Amino acid sequence: MDIIDRVIQSLRPKGKAGIAGIWDDEHVLVDAARQVRASGFKKFEAITPFPVHGIDDAMGIPFSWIPWVTFIFGLLGFSFGVWFTWWTSAVDWPLIIGGKPMWSLPAFIPVIFECTILFGALSSVGALIYVCGLPQVEPPIIDPTLTSHRFALFIPEDDHGFNATAVEKMLKDLGAAEVKRTEF
Amino acid sequence: MDITEQTPPTPKYWMSLEQWRQDPDFKKFAESEFRTSPMQEGDSEDGWARREFLKLMGASLALTSFGCVRRPAQKIIPYAKQPAHLVHGIADHYASSYVDGLEGFGVLITTRDGRPIKVEGNPDHPGHEGGMSARAHAHILRLYDPDRNTSAKRNLQNDKRTNRETIGIAWEKLDEEVSAQLKKGKVAVLTNTLMSPSTRKLVNEFTTGFSAKHYVYDDIGFESIIEGQQRAYGQASLPRLRVDRARYILSVNCDFLGTWLTPTTFQRQFAKGRKASAEMNKLVVVEPLMTLTGSNADERHRIRPSQTLDVLMALLHELLVVKKHSSYASNSGVLQAIAPFSKSKTDLAIPVAEIAQSLWNNRGQSLVLAGGLSAGTENSAAIQMALNLLNSVLENEGKTIEAGGAAVLGSAQAGAAGFNELLNALNKKEVTTLIIHGCNPMYSAPRTAKFVEALGNLEVIIYTGDRNDETGRLADYVATDHHSMENWGDLEAFGGVLSIQQPTIRPLHDTRAFQDGLLNWLRAAEKGSARVKNSATWYDYLRSNWQEEFYPANRGGKSFEEFWTDLLQKGVVQVSRSGGASRSLATASLSGVKSSARNSGFELALYSTVGLGDGQLANVSWLQEFPDPVSKICWDNYASFSLKDAKQLNLKEGQFVKLMVGESSLEVPAHIQPGQADGVIGLAVGYGREGAGEIAKGVGVNAFALSQWKGGERITAGLETKVTVLARNNTFACTQDHHSMEGRQIVVEETLKDHLKNPGGQVHRHKMTTMWAEHKYTGNKWGMVIDLNTCNGCGACVIACQSENNIPAVGKKYVISGREMHWIRVDRYYTGDPENPGVVNQPLPCMHCDNAPCETVCPVAATVHSDEGTNDMIYNRCVGTRYCANNCPYKVRRFNWFNYTQLKAPLNLALNPEVTQRFRGVMEKCTFCIHRIRDKKSNAKLLDQALKDGDVKTACQQSCPTQAITFGDVNNANSAVAKAYQQPQSYILLEELNTKPAVRYQVKVRNTAELKGGSPHHGDSHQKEGQHV
Amino acid sequence: MIRRNPLILGHKTYETITKDICGLVERMPGPSFFAGLAGAQFLLFIFLFAQGMIVWYGMGMMGVNHPVGWGTDIITFVFWIGIGHAGTLISAILFLFRQKWRTSIARSAEAMTVFAVMTAGLFPILHTGRPWLGYWLLPYPNQRGPLWVNFRSPLVWDVFAVSTYATVSAVFWYIGMVPDLATIRDRAQNKWRKRIYGALSLGWRGTARNWNHYETVYMLLCGLSTPLVLSVHSIVSFDFAVATLPGWHTTIFPPYFVAGAIFSGFAMVITLMAIIRELVPVFKDYITLDHMEAMNKIIMTTGLMVGYAYGSEFFIAWYSGVEYEKFIFLNRAFGPYGWSYWIMVTCNVVIPQLFWFRYFRRNIPWMFVISIFVNIGMWFERFVITVTSLHRDFLPSNWGMWIPTFYDFAALFGSFGLFFTLFLIYIRLLPAISIAEVKPVLGVGRDGGKHGHH
Repeated sequence: MDIIDRVIQSLRPKGKAGIAGIWDDEHVLVDAARQVRASGFKKFEAITPFPVHGIDDAMGIPFSWIPWVTFIFGLLGFSFGVWFTWWTSAVDWPLIIGGKPMWSLPAFIPVIFECTILFGALSSVGALIYVCGLPQVEPPIIDPTLTSHRFALFIPEDDHGFNATAVEKMLKDLGAAEVKRTEF
Repeated sequence: MDITEQTPPTPKYWMSLEQWRQDPDFKKFAESEFRTSPMQEGDSEDGWARREFLKLMGASLALTSFGCVRRPAQKIIPYAKQPAHLVHGIADHYASSYVDGLEGFGVLITTRDGRPIKVEGNPDHPGHEGGMSARAHAHILRLYDPDRNTSAKRNLQNDKRTNRETIGIAWEKLDEEVSAQLKKGKVAVLTNTLMSPSTRKLVNEFTTGFSAKHYVYDDIGFESIIEGQQRAYGQASLPRLRVDRARYILSVNCDFLGTWLTPTTFQRQFAKGRKASAEMNKLVVVEPLMTLTGSNADERHRIRPSQTLDVLMALLHELLVVKKHSSYASNSGVLQAIAPFSKSKTDLAIPVAEIAQSLWNNRGQSLVLAGGLSAGTENSAAIQMALNLLNSVLENEGKTIEAGGAAVLGSAQAGAAGFNELLNALNKKEVTTLIIHGCNPMYSAPRTAKFVEALGNLEVIIYTGDRNDETGRLADYVATDHHSMENWGDLEAFGGVLSIQQPTIRPLHDTRAFQDGLLNWLRAAEKGSARVKNSATWYDYLRSNWQEEFYPANRGGKSFEEFWTDLLQKGVVQVSRSGGASRSLATASLSGVKSSARNSGFELALYSTVGLGDGQLANVSWLQEFPDPVSKICWDNYASFSLKDAKQLNLKEGQFVKLMVGESSLEVPAHIQPGQADGVIGLAVGYGREGAGEIAKGVGVNAFALSQWKGGERITAGLETKVTVLARNNTFACTQDHHSMEGRQIVVEETLKDHLKNPGGQVHRHKMTTMWAEHKYTGNKWGMVIDLNTCNGCGACVIACQSENNIPAVGKKYVISGREMHWIRVDRYYTGDPENPGVVNQPLPCMHCDNAPCETVCPVAATVHSDEGTNDMIYNRCVGTRYCANNCPYKVRRFNWFNYTQLKAPLNLALNPEVTQRFRGVMEKCTFCIHRIRDKKSNAKLLDQALKDGDVKTACQQSCPTQAITFGDVNNANSAVAKAYQQPQSYILLEELNTKPAVRYQVKVRNTAELKGGSPHHGDSHQKEGQHV
Repeated sequence: MIRRNPLILGHKTYETITKDICGLVERMPGPSFFAGLAGAQFLLFIFLFAQGMIVWYGMGMMGVNHPVGWGTDIITFVFWIGIGHAGTLISAILFLFRQKWRTSIARSAEAMTVFAVMTAGLFPILHTGRPWLGYWLLPYPNQRGPLWVNFRSPLVWDVFAVSTYATVSAVFWYIGMVPDLATIRDRAQNKWRKRIYGALSLGWRGTARNWNHYETVYMLLCGLSTPLVLSVHSIVSFDFAVATLPGWHTTIFPPYFVAGAIFSGFAMVITLMAIIRELVPVFKDYITLDHMEAMNKIIMTTGLMVGYAYGSEFFIAWYSGVEYEKFIFLNRAFGPYGWSYWIMVTCNVVIPQLFWFRYFRRNIPWMFVISIFVNIGMWFERFVITVTSLHRDFLPSNWGMWIPTFYDFAALFGSFGLFFTLFLIYIRLLPAISIAEVKPVLGVGRDGGKHGHH
């Protein structure tokens, strides 16, 4: 058992030290986030149990670039489908089948289509996992309720102009129900 | 091929002085060396392949090594091949003969590495000209039948002969005991009609030697014909019929195309006259049952069996009395004989006057036929008399009928008597020892003949059958005979048409030729001619008989060696025989012929089927699973009823009925047969075999049990029968459940008149377009044309294909659930009034479509097109989705539902190594005999010749007695098939699907005013054509 | 915003929602659950036994024959594939249509999809003569040439469509579950549960930046799944439509099959939800009568669509003037298998008409029974298409009958064993309702609900 523990320990990512404020209402959180951003912090992060509306522009998070991945890979899947069906049935080993042409495009469309979808879908998911830095082994969490019913803002020490006491005060002023020094 | 068994009196090459001096020790040593040949040891299943190899090594060595001490004392010569060229893996064809009842075949036996794997017709045979019957094909399985006796048997009988204990017995011991018994005298020999001149001679020597009597009995006999001939022409022989010369054929209750006498030859002859032209023949059939002949009739009428004679007499009456035709019209004796039948015409629902007129118009080139089991009424002999007179009146004698068919009971068999005489002799205790050969009287003789009881008076019965069947079980000794492929012999199929029978494999078991038995016993008793004394073996006897009997008159400047070699190579020889000269009819023969008593109730008519015939081959699975050409039922015989009778009795298909004839009764499932005469029950013989083996066990009932013995002859038809409908039901294994074409264009029929005006005019053709450029086939492009006009639906192709392509039989249960495996099937449809419908047949192999729907849907490319236009099935690629079968509009694909490759040894020896065995779960179908194509092509390549049209023959084509199938390269404009493609009467099945099949059909032409079903109007699916029976 | 009933009943807070849904995973299941599981596993055992026998002795054990080459296996394959459509449809298409009510049923519907496709996927392999070579349908470089597959064959299209669909819907289902798994992880007291769910959740922490990408990908998957789900059953219908066989060779099949799939899929969702509502009373607040009614409306609509398809098939058969086509349809309705056709019509067209009445739409026992009928009807639809078309095609000499054996029944009913075993296990081990998706719609339809401004 302790072997497993040790393995896990070794794999655990080191969290950044910083200060977190926890709210019970996501709307207050959104306003708070806007304030924190206004006060010049860049690297701070919001943790919520579900996607909270308005948090993105409150924190200035740009629109995800993953659709481009989907598009490019979808295109790739499409071309692969076209090439593969053509190469296997017309080039590598052409066989006379049902009196049809060696490259019977209409009959190949379903396969080409499925390739497109498959590539697009899997690449998107891959991209998501990559960009979220998943999977992580037991990463540090600020509070278990953050995946249930509470909301948090976390400001890391290395953020521009970080001052522990000032930050704590600011978070309290922004109506945080709880403020604590923690790792994330 | 049994080369080493016997050492010659003085070998031309000798190894040592001992041998030269015929030193007995050396002989024993030499023989013993060969005794312990693989074939002789006990047989374990796994052992076979190895032994095969050893055997064939020996065989080929012996064949090739001239000058070596093991040089064969008996040479057998491959057909048109030099033995020196014998190569492993290359098939050889040996000319031989086969007899089935009274039908003699010249055959070519294909052997691969020393084992026969296929029987084909010898094209040089003037009778069937290469055509083969289903049974002739299938008799190869009897060679490898696991249920055959593997040695001589001694049955330990009690005095009731009911004991079933059997022990093996050494041949020496058997000869000892038998010889001792023969010394006591009172010997009788009971054989079937011996078609082999040399055997006839030997049997004669035997009977004279032991002053024994020779009796002749056939399971399905033609005594009445012979008697008729005897009394009419003084010749106790079968006439030779020339159906090909007849333009108007009237068959009165005679299934000459299916089962009567020599059907294969008749089919060939009939087909010759069937080519659609102004000279095309016309077939009128008057019969009680729907037979293969009836299904090919241009005009068909129904009678009861008891009316057979009346029909003939009515015709005579019409011709002689009413029309006063021919010189016989003034013959008082004849007129007297005819007088009682003046009324017949009116009782019969037949246009007698019309038929008589057409017969007369075609006199000299017409032919009237009658007889067979279903005509075996009490006055069957009278029928033959009337028939002879009728043909004479029509001046057919000497034109369409000749003397000297098979010289049955002719001089060679003089003094032979019939079964009745035997019965009398037995009852009078004139016989103590009976030798039975070539027939199975215990199975086929009527119970009322009390044959079994008569046997009680015998001391010893010796039976030469190959198993303990009905007769074998009552015998004391079963002197197990060779299979014909293991034995020498000769055959006279027709007067002067002789063929030789060569062994093509060393005897599989410790069996012995019947003839060798006779020779041994003669020698032991120091009886018989000098030839007997000088003949060490039956082979020597046969050879010297030929040397003295046939060679002198037919030497043609050849030495006997050359003559013999030539004979072995060709297999057939025409020798000069008396006969064929015109004969004069003894009109007196007709006197005293009277009409048989009318039966008020049901009349039973026994008949034999195309599949099983007399039942000798009942243990051959191929034949049991062979769909009857008319009813398409297999694995059963049945009491067939007409639609009307079935309605009256309220019978359902398959419902059991109890048939009572006198004392004897049978319980049989009923089959409702369109076209059968009302008041008639048909029942097939050949089924219900006992002790015949695992396959035959419990299949059907023995119909002979209902036959009666009256006035010294066997009555098989016109028997008054009581019918009781039972509650039980039977499901038939029927390969075709629906019998109407539903108005679809499947088989196209045309009347001769329309056809001559506009051939193929009835075919609705389609203009097909394509979306893309089609593939070009530059080399050979194989195609087939099937002429539905000459095809008569006999089904020989089905068995030929089965034998060629290792197609398994699946058994009754699985035929019922639709799993039969035949690669080519013959579809049969009824047209018109179901009471008396027209019948059309359509052989259906794989169509090898250029746009094959099966190929498109196969996910793994297991079925694709070759660049020679064939639709190939690659078994080892197949995963068995069965999508191809679903998508095949012709449904010709067959699936291996289970593992059918497990064969009970030695059946596996019958497999054709050229064709893959298919494992469970793969699809299979007709390949156009691709292996034959490859073989011929590589041959041509080796010889650096171009492939000639007709070089490649598919198995079905080769076997077809009517040569309805044309196969070849359609890219070769001069090939027969390419020409046939272009003929206007050719059409494409389901053309509108644009599958572009390589197989095309030619319309069926009927020589009638109008067609039974009317001409089908394509596109109207609800025109009533026949009914779902 | 129009007034409407709340999507979630009872005065829930985020916390209670978490408790309600996670509770099911954290509690030890009761005897009724184990009884159900045992029943399902018994059926599963029968399934395994039957298939074992068939693989060992050959397809001949089943009723299929010549001419009916496809039987129970293919029928049941199409049946399950059809059922496997509702899930993705609910999650994807309804998402794109902004149907918020989907949230509480989406998860289980997706699970149903995944399990149904798994069940269905077995049949095409098991129905072949040599299932151990099933992988030959995949185009991979091999020592047989390499011999590639025949891309013209609808069966190969099937392989691509079904496997793509299985992959994408499984991924979709899993990605949707990740945040909820994280929730369970964070609530876990037990070390091992924490670890296992932690591993399953991939260490998800729900930061705003992750949520941003997450929502984008979720929408992308919806966008991709929508054409996919439509393509899959179209392609399955090609198995028939591409063939030459009268009764199969029809252009209406793709839409007709898709409608049928949605129809049967939703019926199965109703069946399952009715069961879940009974097994887990608290879920009644999440899967409300309004949800059920909405689905019943879809069932009725799609039922009318298939009804229309049945009608138009007959019309076209007559209008085309193709004798074989005409015959096959008359034979369907009045031939030896006519009974199956009328079962189909009754179950698929007549019975769903009850949903015109609000009473039936909102009465659980009634809709449960009707949904069962719909599923029976849809099985028979595939039976009618497969068997009655095959058993009487072009040449009357080939006509025959198909008679099922014990193994046919075992294959059909056994497959339910497999499906329910998987589903029951899923209910107790994974969040059966999407926690993260339900919370945002908590306020929908609540008066003055503080979250009502979506």
